[in-house]
Amino acid sequence: MTYSEELTELIEEFQEIDDKMERLEMVFDLADEVNLLPIDQWTDATRVNGCQSEAHVKVEIIDSNVRFYSGADSKLVQGLMGILTMAIDNGDANVVLTLTPDFATEMGILNSLSPSRSNGFRNMFDKVMNEIKTQM
Amino acid sequence: MREEFPILQREINGYPLVYFDNAATTQKPSVVIDAMNDYYSNSNANVHRAVHTLAGEATEGYESCRRELKSRFNATRAIITSGTTEAINLVAHAWGRANLVDGDAIILTEMEHHSDIVPWQMLAQEMNIELRYVPVQKDLTLDMELFEAAIKGAKLVCVVHISNVLGVCNPVERIVKISKQNGAKVLLDAAQSAPHQDIDFGELGADFMAFSAHKMCGPTGIGALLVTDDAFSEMQPFMGGGDMIETVSIHGSTYQKNEQKFEAGTPRIAEAIGWTEALKWLNDVDIKSEHKRILDSARWLAKELRELGMTVYGRHDENDAAVVSFLHPTMNSEDLAHLLDARGFAVRTGHHCAQPLLDRLEITGTVRVSLYFYNTHDEVVSFVDYFKEILERFA
Repeated sequence: MTYSEELTELIEEFQEIDDKMERLEMVFDLADEVNLLPIDQWTDATRVNGCQSEAHVKVEIIDSNVRFYSGADSKLVQGLMGILTMAIDNGDANVVLTLTPDFATEMGILNSLSPSRSNGFRNMFDKVMNEIKTQM
Repeated sequence: MREEFPILQREINGYPLVYFDNAATTQKPSVVIDAMNDYYSNSNANVHRAVHTLAGEATEGYESCRRELKSRFNATRAIITSGTTEAINLVAHAWGRANLVDGDAIILTEMEHHSDIVPWQMLAQEMNIELRYVPVQKDLTLDMELFEAAIKGAKLVCVVHISNVLGVCNPVERIVKISKQNGAKVLLDAAQSAPHQDIDFGELGADFMAFSAHKMCGPTGIGALLVTDDAFSEMQPFMGGGDMIETVSIHGSTYQKNEQKFEAGTPRIAEAIGWTEALKWLNDVDIKSEHKRILDSARWLAKELRELGMTVYGRHDENDAAVVSFLHPTMNSEDLAHLLDARGFAVRTGHHCAQPLLDRLEITGTVRVSLYFYNTHDEVVSFVDYFKEILERFA
């Protein structure tokens, strides 16, 4: 599928890195890309189930655009949230809904994570997409 | 020794594997892998009934495991199970249901693995049994004063020999003595101690001892319950089927008199053959000196980690296991484990199936380094060097 220019660049950047440590370091750095959902707003409704860490997400649709807020107690998980932020935040909701988690596979990040973490990413992705659908 | 373990030659992400998750499971020497391969290649058959050559070889292989267990641990009865968990469940069902009555009490400790808590909670719900938990003190030892207070009137004491989280070795000789003075039976969870110590079950005086093969270089899916003759005579079979019967008619069945009474169905033949080789392999290891060597490495690691600002949970006394559980003040444990894995270091994170203990320590998990006899001090030094690099880049 066609990705935004920013996401395409990010995918290419990840694909150029062979070293797992460097790839993880990039994910860590992307933790700063999130629109932070403060801990005092973490509730059962925002929790991503099936994730070993505390991971919370919230979606708003403003004028058909997605606003994505997130936060986690793991910097690695928050880095994954940062990647999802770059993929969907401020995007048109109808376009965002055509996205699949394949972009994360193309980046190679899911292979760098434990099965529980990569499942957690998929759970987060599904939760966000469901919330967008619900709010449209 | 390392060359006997094929997996230790492996690279992870282009770096030599440094396997520090031995409290979860140990690696297997070639003698174990070869014996299992040989069984399936040359001797595969079911045990005990048939008279053909293959069945004879399979039966001899399976029963040699039982003989080796009895010999190594000085036991008269060795029931082969799927592992420590099934062995403990076997005590709950086969002894507990037959000998406990409404209102009886069982003693557990806050240090127990979930496998030595949940079966008793299930039995307690079914039979109205009282469970009394011995607390863990600030120095990470059991509160023996409260144990002595709790033992009055208890029928069974279930205690972990060595904590899988802390590596702390409990005073089981004293616990057995006090329990016996008060008429209670003792079940020892030896999952972490059997691989690290020479245990004389007969001399120790416990009634039951449960442990797993895979934590002592044997295959997964097999373990044992050692039982005294006295306790064995009080056990009733709880799983019925093939191999455990003597006769079956439409009017009823009679059961085997030996350990097979508790081994219903086709047993774990290849695994037993592999475990036999692991036990023989361990017989040739100087366990005391090897244990001292890896414990010294664990002590050094604990000191280094403390100096780097980590909180280390453990005391590393003479008989404690070479386990170092720690937490970074801010970094997520799983993040640390992922970064360590990037350079080939395999460690465990999480609650280690001991949530009541972690509740007592007021934490939700740790990073755990657990060493075994094939680990070297150089590996521990390289771990510390790389850990410092992680802290510089990520903390």
